[in-house]
Amino acid sequence: MRILVVEDNDLVADAIARGLGIAGFAVDRAPSAELAATALAAEHFDLAVVDIGLPGEDGLTFVRRLRSQGSTLPVLILTARETVAMRVEALDLGADDFLMKPFEQSELAARCRALIRRANLNTNGQLNFGSRLRIDVAGRQLRIDDKPVELTGREWLVLECLAFSAGRVVSKERLQQAIARWDQAMTPNAVEVYVSRVRAKLADAALIRTVRGLGYRLDEPEA
Amino acid sequence: MSLKLDPTTSIHRRLLVLLLPPLALLMVAGGFADYRASMVFMRTAYDQSLADAAFAQAALLRVVDGKIYAQLPVPAQPSMHATRTEKFYYSIWGPDNTLIIGNPQLRETFAGEGNPAYADSWLGSHRIRLVTYRAATTAGVATVIVAETTSRREAARHFILTSTWLMDFILIDSTLLLVWIGVRYGLKPLLAVRGQIESRSPRELRPLDTSGVPAEVRPLVDALNGLFEVLREAARSQRQFVADAAHQLRTPIAGLVGHLELLTQDPAAAGLESRLAVLRDGMSRVAHSANQLLALARAEPSANLADHFQDTDLVPLVERVIERNFDRSVKARLDLGADLAAASVAGSAWLIEDLLGNLVDNAINYTPAGGHVTVRCGGGTSEPYLEVEDDGPGIPEAERGRVRQRFYRLPGSQGHGCGLGLAIVEEIARLHRAAVTIDAGAGDHGTRIRVQFPALPAARQGKTANAVTP
Repeated sequence: MRILVVEDNDLVADAIARGLGIAGFAVDRAPSAELAATALAAEHFDLAVVDIGLPGEDGLTFVRRLRSQGSTLPVLILTARETVAMRVEALDLGADDFLMKPFEQSELAARCRALIRRANLNTNGQLNFGSRLRIDVAGRQLRIDDKPVELTGREWLVLECLAFSAGRVVSKERLQQAIARWDQAMTPNAVEVYVSRVRAKLADAALIRTVRGLGYRLDEPEA
Repeated sequence: MSLKLDPTTSIHRRLLVLLLPPLALLMVAGGFADYRASMVFMRTAYDQSLADAAFAQAALLRVVDGKIYAQLPVPAQPSMHATRTEKFYYSIWGPDNTLIIGNPQLRETFAGEGNPAYADSWLGSHRIRLVTYRAATTAGVATVIVAETTSRREAARHFILTSTWLMDFILIDSTLLLVWIGVRYGLKPLLAVRGQIESRSPRELRPLDTSGVPAEVRPLVDALNGLFEVLREAARSQRQFVADAAHQLRTPIAGLVGHLELLTQDPAAAGLESRLAVLRDGMSRVAHSANQLLALARAEPSANLADHFQDTDLVPLVERVIERNFDRSVKARLDLGADLAAASVAGSAWLIEDLLGNLVDNAINYTPAGGHVTVRCGGGTSEPYLEVEDDGPGIPEAERGRVRQRFYRLPGSQGHGCGLGLAIVEEIARLHRAAVTIDAGAGDHGTRIRVQFPALPAARQGKTANAVTP
């Protein structure tokens, strides 16, 4: 997985590049929007991490230009100056995520993984989660450590729903609606039952965390 | 009403004190003068008719053989009896002070100067008014004395006195009332300005409305507005400065935090873990402070006008805050959860997220591993609230007021706080006219902080939209 880091501040760019490198990504750096455009034209990248406050063309303009050229490259925006308007504008322009400086390296790596995962799902129907979980959405198949795991229809819907929003909280209501297609009389308790079954089948390959009063979140297993 | 007037006495009182007593005195004096004038007029009229009676008597005197005779028979007297209650007396005396006719008792009451001459006297137990007229006859000077008791005069005097004072009383009262009303009404624009100033929150810096401000006060209001403008500008530039400083700090902080994090994981730094941990801890405090300063600058009332508030659904807002803090709670081995019911407020979703974020942040920082943090919202549109409860060590009752102050931290407290969290909460709550209460949590353990918002204006209820999407 290759990431382009567009950031003019050397201290930050260096930290990001090293951090993402340790997290297992190949990282290239571009100190300006213009150089980033050149790099994107020449090479394939899976994700761009773009700082808003770039010299010359700023980050938002860069993203707008990228989208107007039809690029679907996932973009994560970094900013030191947060305003409502800027956050809304960035997302409206087609940025996929938004991270405030300063941030933790682990947070950045997790967001990058989630963005790439989503992009892969869109392009080839594959959802790779962590190092051990492979979800073939199109073929409705779950593999853990390359071994297929059998799921019932409702269990599959629960996993799919959680995996599509991996790393984010999925409300109980949403899960209930997702599986209600199969059974109109689905109760919140039934959701708990299915979630715990999926949890058992995933074993230690992935974590389904309960967010009390809200819902569930699919996380990579703790190191 | 005290008559003391110092420069701080209200204009209202000053006007009343300066106007009412002199006016009242003037009118009392006027009444007195009226009374006196009426009395003189009345007495002259009565005296005149008394004198006329004396002249008539004198005209009827006849001189026969050098001797004066009064022709008047006694029965002719009743023509002078104007009333039944009035008694009438007369006597006529010759030049040698011999009684010609009439009441001999009138003799001792001879009046003095003038012709006719008037005098007040007593006849027996009766108070009388008498006139003495000296009429020259061929037989010498005859003295005609006519007297009447004073009950008619007394009655007239009473009437005059009563009517004068009654009129005066009505006049004084209505004048004073008019002055009082006039002063009150005249000062109304001034009081309106006072009302306008009093109804403002002390932190509000919006200019005062100058329409309807009287010309005399206009320069004062203009000066105030000028001052507000200066303050607004100062607050704005201070805010801008803090925001700029925080922004400028963030990028290098981001770099330092990143490098420190990497260094901690670097095998080459083996053996330096504890020193790196100290550095990282310090660095994250710096980062946190920069964020909090920015949040505080953002929450300054001068940066936010209530006009910009939107109807905000608290449920998705709480969900966002929990989602954002969930990783930290997992890391701190806390159970972060929610208990949500419908709640909508008029406000800035952005700021309320800051508020709740700070409350959750505090709860996570100060609750030991294994604890619970619960975020609640509810109250619909009539009494919407946000609440964060933890089962951590709690805040002693004596400290609950002080933790709200900027940069105040509980003695001996752990965590990364810079003491701005609750100050930010307070600031944002004040902006939304919400009340923040700090209590102990369930079972008298931990802390429960509740932010009670005012009801959503009825006209807008049911049209709640979520202002900001994540």
